[in-house]
Amino acid sequence: MDSPVPSSLFRRKKDNRRGITYSVMLIGASGSGKTSFANNLVESSIFPHEYNQSRQDYAISPRVRVLKPTKVVSFNSKNGIPSYMTEFDPDRAHLESGITITSTTLEISAGDAQSAEGAAPSSPVKGHRRSNSIMDEEEDTIFLNLLNTHGIGENLDDSLCFDEITSYLEQQFDIVLSEETRIRRNPRFEDTRVHIALYFIEPTGHGLRELDVEIMKRVARYTNVLPVIAKADAFARDELKQFKQSILNDIERYNVPVYTFEGDDDDDDMEAIEENQVLAGLQPFSIITSDERNDEGKYVRAYPWGTLRIDDEKLSDLGVLKNVLFGSHLQEFKDTTQNLLYENYRTDKLSSVTKNTSVPVANGAKNGGMATIGNRDSAAPSLSNFASLINTGHFKSSQSIALNAGGDGASASAAAGMQPPSTPHVNEQDDSKAGESPIKQMSDEIRNGNEEIIKSIKKEAQSNDTIERNQLRNISETVPYVLRHERIIARQQKLEELEAQSAKELQKRIQELEQKAHDLKLRERLLKQQAAEGSKASLQSDNKSFVSTRSISQSQMKKNDTYTDLASIVSTKE
Amino acid sequence: MTTSSVGIANLPNQRYKIVSERGGTFTMMVCGESGLGKTTFINTLFQTTLKQVDPQQRRHQPLKKTVDIDLTRAVLEEKNFKMRVNVIDTPGFGDNVNNNKAWQTLVDFIDDQHDSYMRQEQQPHRDVKFDLRVHVVLYFIKPTGHGLKPLDIETMKRISTRANLIPVIAKSDTLTLQELQIFKTRIRQVIEAQEIHIFTPPLDFENGESAAAGASTQDATAAEHARQLIEAMPFAIVGSTSKFDNGQGTQVVARKYPWGLVEVENDNHCDFRKLRSMLLRTYLLDLIITTQELHYETYRRLRLEGSNGNDDNANADSSMPLKAPARKLSHNPKYKEEENALKKYFTDQVKAEEQRFRQWEQNIVNERMRLNGDLEDIQSKVKKLEDQVRSLQLKKR
Repeated sequence: MDSPVPSSLFRRKKDNRRGITYSVMLIGASGSGKTSFANNLVESSIFPHEYNQSRQDYAISPRVRVLKPTKVVSFNSKNGIPSYMTEFDPDRAHLESGITITSTTLEISAGDAQSAEGAAPSSPVKGHRRSNSIMDEEEDTIFLNLLNTHGIGENLDDSLCFDEITSYLEQQFDIVLSEETRIRRNPRFEDTRVHIALYFIEPTGHGLRELDVEIMKRVARYTNVLPVIAKADAFARDELKQFKQSILNDIERYNVPVYTFEGDDDDDDMEAIEENQVLAGLQPFSIITSDERNDEGKYVRAYPWGTLRIDDEKLSDLGVLKNVLFGSHLQEFKDTTQNLLYENYRTDKLSSVTKNTSVPVANGAKNGGMATIGNRDSAAPSLSNFASLINTGHFKSSQSIALNAGGDGASASAAAGMQPPSTPHVNEQDDSKAGESPIKQMSDEIRNGNEEIIKSIKKEAQSNDTIERNQLRNISETVPYVLRHERIIARQQKLEELEAQSAKELQKRIQELEQKAHDLKLRERLLKQQAAEGSKASLQSDNKSFVSTRSISQSQMKKNDTYTDLASIVSTKE
Repeated sequence: MTTSSVGIANLPNQRYKIVSERGGTFTMMVCGESGLGKTTFINTLFQTTLKQVDPQQRRHQPLKKTVDIDLTRAVLEEKNFKMRVNVIDTPGFGDNVNNNKAWQTLVDFIDDQHDSYMRQEQQPHRDVKFDLRVHVVLYFIKPTGHGLKPLDIETMKRISTRANLIPVIAKSDTLTLQELQIFKTRIRQVIEAQEIHIFTPPLDFENGESAAAGASTQDATAAEHARQLIEAMPFAIVGSTSKFDNGQGTQVVARKYPWGLVEVENDNHCDFRKLRSMLLRTYLLDLIITTQELHYETYRRLRLEGSNGNDDNANADSSMPLKAPARKLSHNPKYKEEENALKKYFTDQVKAEEQRFRQWEQNIVNERMRLNGDLEDIQSKVKKLEDQVRSLQLKKR
């Protein structure tokens, strides 16, 4: 909860008293059962289904309390229009949904959950958990921050999705980093880093797809990734075994850095090692989720050919997964995030930030080509100048050298009709600026100002004798600032982009609608005309007009012949 | 009656003989993301191993980013009637991160078949050698329980104007009855709202009613059957090739789960029988005829009209067979992306070279300055020496 200093006994105790903050992220293609899983995880119906909002049987388990209701924490879409939890509208189904990340904070009183779970048939894993789990000791509550992703796999181009997810995860690291390096820390700071991401693999039976590999690889830089097979009820027993194997093969083949259950041989006790072996053998977990409860209140899936219980250990690893998440490996996931992933990130980030601020030359380099051109241009003319030198100037200038050997070089070149060296410099800068977007320009300006400040701080520091200490101080002063600044710029950029896109999209929609209205009016007139003709004229003319409309409709490549109104038939039948 | 007949009534029988000797051709395209059971379904439908399940190896080649067309030909024989079946698979469809324009390959293929048929028809000797016009496209929908994705909609829209489209819900054994019902309703709504024209069995209302009035029970039952089929759309299917004992001693094609046996040919479990009836038993001829009379004709008309309107050359000798539509290589978005990447590479290279030239130039300028300086020095030296010489000469005098 507090500022994440390296984990110590003190901190752990304090944490325990307050409860454990724990962030789980669910990633997976839409329709792979993330929401159902979230509901099953806390044994409540808290999360409404995106496509089934009408059926709101809100039910909540007594052990669970919603601290912060579901809110959207990050969103991006190509057309800039949010789609999360919009009413189902068949007319708009062809629009891409973009991606939305939502967060819900729940308080779970774990002690009760343990006993309730314990009622389920126990597995070897469960037995071990009871003995070594830290949860059974004293802490009672988990503050579960459940992040869900919506819209993956619903877009024509999904590359937007994983950029959004990774940038969200990186942001959480940045927030912690800036808090950590601050001199005066916020005592009520909330750690929002994601400790574990469950990746839902679709039950294709074939192995991993490009999307799966890409997302898992990217996300694994910021969090533990645990792949799970969603909707495992699509597999017969042999098929499931085969599918698990082919996923494991693919993970190895594409070097996907997923979390593996490997016990440290040194410090873990025998039981833990054994437990990890069992878990490793089960990986990737296959889960079955459901919204339906049977009479006993157990979640079931009722098919015409049979009913299965989702907590059946033989069929689904849901129970095991729950124990891993909340029991045996909770602290493990938190520690890996803190000690390994976050530390690596921190090292990278800080070394890059401090390098930029401490070496004045790097400042120019970071500013991009513009500054380097500016620096050098005082000496070197631009390319256009060079071209003139080749084409015409060469002969002249050599002449001029020979002629005005006694004079100074600058006047000689000016006499030869060459541009003064300052002009190309200005041109160059203008060009490069014009090429960039206004937003980029703005952010560049902001960054320039930013670095000026940093430089001045740096200069002050150098004048002092105790460089070492001052440098540290500098870092703690500047780093949060730099990080926050970068974040703000990124967000600003994103928002502006979104705004522009949504404006464009809205414009397009308006046009479409107008077009449609126009078409409808035309058709109406045609029909009216037809009706008038039909009432007046004989059968023959009626036929004629029929032919004309027919040709029109055919020219639009509509197949009225085969197309029968599905819904109307069904509804009339009913 | 038999005495007075001259044999005209025998015409259908003659026709029957011809047709049964000649056999039939049926081309079917299956389309959908990988892992939805397309191959299994084909094998289930024809009850043979028509298509081999892809060797796992092929899938694990470096991830491909294109959609392929994969053709399987087979001759099936049932009760001495031969049927040439072409099955077209589209591996790679919908498998990538960026699926934009993934439908282009499919649409192009369908158009190409129409085109090739049309050109063969326009030859002086028009015995059509090969006819791969797609009679039916089965579009496999992923059983998400949500609805149709934009990719599904865009693809189906485009296909539906070119061929008979039948959407099916793949692997429907992951949806419970209730979920399936909601899913179906939703898909139907989307299909209707987006104006996707799927193939429906002909429902001749006027005909059917008049025939029913005329007590022709056969027509009435056919209409009822068609109505049932339409109601069940989109068909939820389960595919399997293995047989299991169904508990009553008979072997049925089914999927065996620990929680039960899903029988493929059980109407309570899935719509496989309905789909088969639609595809093969009842409406096969309808599918073929619609392809010929509607889709091919539409294509032909558009092509002929379009080329007359656009090309003046084609107008000049319209009797000549039409040229293949000028399909530029660049129409494929994948090429476009490649092109952009190459362009970027090119500009980068140019920039780097420019940088190098600038460096050179600077060196040259520096060199020139140095040489100028040297020259100046030497000249001043020369001047000095000349002065010296002059002064010495003066002194000498």
